[in-house]
Amino acid sequence: MSGAVLGVGLAWAGSAILTALTEELDRSRTLSLPDAAPPYFVAYDVLDGEMCTAFAELGALVSLRNERYRTLRAEVRTGDYSFDSSNFSAFGEREGVEQVRLPIADDLLALRREIWLATDRAYKGAVEQLSRKQAARHGNGDARPADFEKRAPVVSHRLHEAVPLQDQALAALVTSLTATLTETPAIEVGQAVVRQWEGQRYVVTSEGTQLEMPTGYTVLRVEAVTRLADGSRERDARSWVVRSPEDLPPEAELRAEVAEMAAWLDALHDAPAEPDYLGPVIFEGQAAIELFSQLLAGEITGTPAVEEELQNGELPSSGPVQARLGRRLLPRGWTVTDEVSAHPETPAWYAYDHEGVPPASVELVRDGVLVDVLMSRIPREDRASSTGHARAVRAARRAALPGAVEVRPARQSSARRIRRLALDASALAGHDYVLVVKQIEPPAIHEQFDVTYSGEGPPAGLTQPFEVERLYRDGRREPVRSLSFLGVDRGALRDIEAAGPMVPAATLLDGPAGTGRFAIGPTGGIPVWWSVPTVLVAEVELRSRAGGEHRVIAAPRVGSVD
Amino acid sequence: MSAPEPPVTATPRPPRLTYVLLPIALAGLGIASLPGRAATEGADPTLAALTEGLDGTRAALKSANLELPYYQQLVVWELEGVSIQATSGVDAALDHRLGRSLDVDLRLGSMQLDNTHKIRDASWFSTPERPQFNAPLAAGPALVELVWRATDEVYRSARRQLTKVRANDSVKVKRDDLSDDFSLAPVVAYQAPPARLVVDEAAWQSTLRDVSALYLNYPTIYDSSALLNVERHERWLVNNEGSRVHDGRLRYRAATWAETVAEDGMRLSVYDYVDAATADHLPSREDFLSMARRVANTVLALRNAPVIEPHTGPAILRGRAAGVFFHEIFGHRIEGMRQKDEDEGQTFTDRVGELVLPAILSVHDDPTQARYGDTDLNGAYLVDDEGVSSEPVTLVERGILRNFLMSRAPVEGFSRSNGHGRRQPGNDVVARQGNLRVEAHQTVSEARLRELLIAEIKRQNKPFGLMFDDISGGFTFTGRSTPNAFSVQPVTVWRVYPDGRPDELVRGVDLIGTPLTTFSRILAASDQVDVFNGVCGAESGWVPVSAIAPSLLIGEVEVQRREKENDRPPLLPPPTLVPGPGGPV
Repeated sequence: MSGAVLGVGLAWAGSAILTALTEELDRSRTLSLPDAAPPYFVAYDVLDGEMCTAFAELGALVSLRNERYRTLRAEVRTGDYSFDSSNFSAFGEREGVEQVRLPIADDLLALRREIWLATDRAYKGAVEQLSRKQAARHGNGDARPADFEKRAPVVSHRLHEAVPLQDQALAALVTSLTATLTETPAIEVGQAVVRQWEGQRYVVTSEGTQLEMPTGYTVLRVEAVTRLADGSRERDARSWVVRSPEDLPPEAELRAEVAEMAAWLDALHDAPAEPDYLGPVIFEGQAAIELFSQLLAGEITGTPAVEEELQNGELPSSGPVQARLGRRLLPRGWTVTDEVSAHPETPAWYAYDHEGVPPASVELVRDGVLVDVLMSRIPREDRASSTGHARAVRAARRAALPGAVEVRPARQSSARRIRRLALDASALAGHDYVLVVKQIEPPAIHEQFDVTYSGEGPPAGLTQPFEVERLYRDGRREPVRSLSFLGVDRGALRDIEAAGPMVPAATLLDGPAGTGRFAIGPTGGIPVWWSVPTVLVAEVELRSRAGGEHRVIAAPRVGSVD
Repeated sequence: MSAPEPPVTATPRPPRLTYVLLPIALAGLGIASLPGRAATEGADPTLAALTEGLDGTRAALKSANLELPYYQQLVVWELEGVSIQATSGVDAALDHRLGRSLDVDLRLGSMQLDNTHKIRDASWFSTPERPQFNAPLAAGPALVELVWRATDEVYRSARRQLTKVRANDSVKVKRDDLSDDFSLAPVVAYQAPPARLVVDEAAWQSTLRDVSALYLNYPTIYDSSALLNVERHERWLVNNEGSRVHDGRLRYRAATWAETVAEDGMRLSVYDYVDAATADHLPSREDFLSMARRVANTVLALRNAPVIEPHTGPAILRGRAAGVFFHEIFGHRIEGMRQKDEDEGQTFTDRVGELVLPAILSVHDDPTQARYGDTDLNGAYLVDDEGVSSEPVTLVERGILRNFLMSRAPVEGFSRSNGHGRRQPGNDVVARQGNLRVEAHQTVSEARLRELLIAEIKRQNKPFGLMFDDISGGFTFTGRSTPNAFSVQPVTVWRVYPDGRPDELVRGVDLIGTPLTTFSRILAASDQVDVFNGVCGAESGWVPVSAIAPSLLIGEVEVQRREKENDRPPLLPPPTLVPGPGGPV
């Protein structure tokens, strides 16, 4: 079979995938159904690569899996750029997108067969989706933006520099890191997962775009749980997202961070349960990054939500809320930019987004006010063009996602001044200390079933804090525990009282705000780079969640210590 | 390259209604004929770790003055697997997997009433979710630690549940069945670990490529595949009664399937496979190619076959179809727990000693049987999932109901297990079928059975009868809140005409009915017996099973239209490397 491939004129020497995609794309132009529009746009997006995932618990390897994968997302649009089959959803109905696995062999005919069938299904789905959308729009004269932006084609070849999977080394690493946790007897769950993903993305569209782009990242996450005397269950985690295993910090450094996390959890056994708290809060380190990631991302991405048909077949009278230009998001003088191209050293960097558009540098917030939004090729009323930020997981709609975000305050205060300001404000709220949040739960490992199952965000808008300290005027810091945020939303960003030093920039794995964000799992998602300062928020409410069911059989290590 | 659409689907937590039988998972067995040795934890680190965890947690509970579980069992499962798949003549997937999990089963209260007792009139979601525990790949302190944590979690859940059980028992009227919740069983010491998993991947990839390439000769076969799955299942079981088990099995499946779409939009898929306990029982390359040719020819014949209308009349269930038929409509109804569950239909609960089948038939279930003729049996095992040695059971003797399939949960009149407590890892154990065998004491040849069918067609003045050749699966409802009906999905059904016309392949129907009526219409059995190997999904998850039965003539069956897809066949012809007008298409 393989030999036969070479007999066909190759648009891309050596790449059976691109040949198969372009040949089936050519054939897709002849698709037709009676009384139905032919496709006006077809796009294929192939992820081709391999990954290994190792999982260890308390010093023992639980699983190690190597996977070879090749998946196709086929998208067919009928109609035209102004009004097409996309951006519309009817519950349970298929759409113009199909995702299938492709053969892992570079055989032209076998690849084309799968692409052919997926395109066929996607076209039929698109035709039906367009008809449902037309039916829902009957009698609804609301002016709406176009459905899709027309772009000039781009052609680019960037080959992935093959990095061999380091499965054994990574398995040894997670085993070693979790063995560190066994040195703290009070830890009852101590686990680590690592994934190395190496691959190539191919994007071919009927507009003429043909792209080969390297893709992949390595993510390491360590998580630990302890149960306190009053039954409270306390968690903490550390994450690293890098381009390849070589970019991870040295093992000694990783072990030190894990040991520090374990020591934190151990110290919570003697820490007071913080009562309900209302007052100023300092967000520093990872917590500052999570604060902006969770509260700002949805405010700077402009892709309009899909229209969702109501049960009666009509459209809702008002569309969903979207990022609104002119809204004050941050205090005066603050700026927010997204400059993917300026950070080629990070795993969040890319040359073209998933729609084949290069990422633009975008000034999003000027003087605290939203002046621009990140866009995919799905226009909205006040923004017609993509900024090259369409990135999505699996077969999901290509909506905009932040790439490399830098949040800059008008002025930065020293850490000392931030502390003083915080303590002064805290005194006015009746406290002789201020709370400092150092770690916040990443949404990807959120445990609340109704949140992760539904894909909806937690009602309060911020996941729970993992590490919180009381900071006293004499500089003393004291860990407190068992807290959750209450009602913290984007308004908290406007309430930023002061900014401190920039925290070390970091890459998170993230998904689109809302549905899906809490279901990407500990090793899934899209890398997003964040650079933010330490911040003092004038007023934050935290609620005590102390207490829970006691463990009746203590861990054997605890028993042996006693 | 999507997998073939399963003919039926199981909901994750069926409301005690639906039981599903599919030929989709692996099969075969590696332990059955092994004599086994006594398992001792001293020589086995995993048994030693489990024993340490078991003893340690019991000591911890005792020292804390907490109620000790009267029964406590720990099981570690290891699953190692290799899957190789080819499509359109090329490699499609090669997957290796290895993992371990832990099951903790404990019973608080007493054998008479414990935390596992069913709460009557409870809502669907009243049963606490059973926690799942991934286990380390090697025995050691991490496994002991996991046992402690898992036992703590399960113990606390059991304590909550026991409180509810006791209250429920006080509030509700007297139970129909006053049998205990658990029974004693002899201590078992058994060691028969499975052989290492060795697969010649390169050789199999080559074979699968050849087999899958065969379908390229059939333009209207739109999707197809050839695959090999090999799994090594290993199990370590300890309980506080002293049982120690370390055993396992190897399961092989070589399979191929093809799919097409008829002009009326009906998707037609044919799947064939061989399950085996050892690699040398798998089909040769030539036999595999023959199997694929049969699959291709069958699916294309079905594409051109007429759709049959709903119909009642006499029918022959041949080979595997008869086995599935009995598994679904009889086997599930003689599982022990259904006899005491007051939400169940309890078709046979009060009929022990009565005639429930034609007197020409007996029914047995024998998990100790490793092979039937040349066929490895999926449902074979020597020790069940409650540490009880499996036993052959005669369920029906010449038509008279004698026994039930029993786990360690007794029912009135049946106080002990016969070794049929089974589960998929991560589920609670219940009584399940193993190797169900229908024995006919009075048989005729296949040719004579066909003559009897034609005679019956004429007697009933029907235009035709039906012959069910092969099936893809089936399901049945056994609860009281739904009709006690069954549905079996045939792959190939033939119209048999009484006037001598050739048999005609038809499509688009499912075989349906209710059990008692259908049993009463069994008229004859042939001397040709066939084996169905598959996996069965029910309350305790998916377990491998076999059903062995002769062809049966049934005086009246009913078929209903099958759910049908409506998409047109693919709009463009399949791609080919042969240049056509205007270049390659």
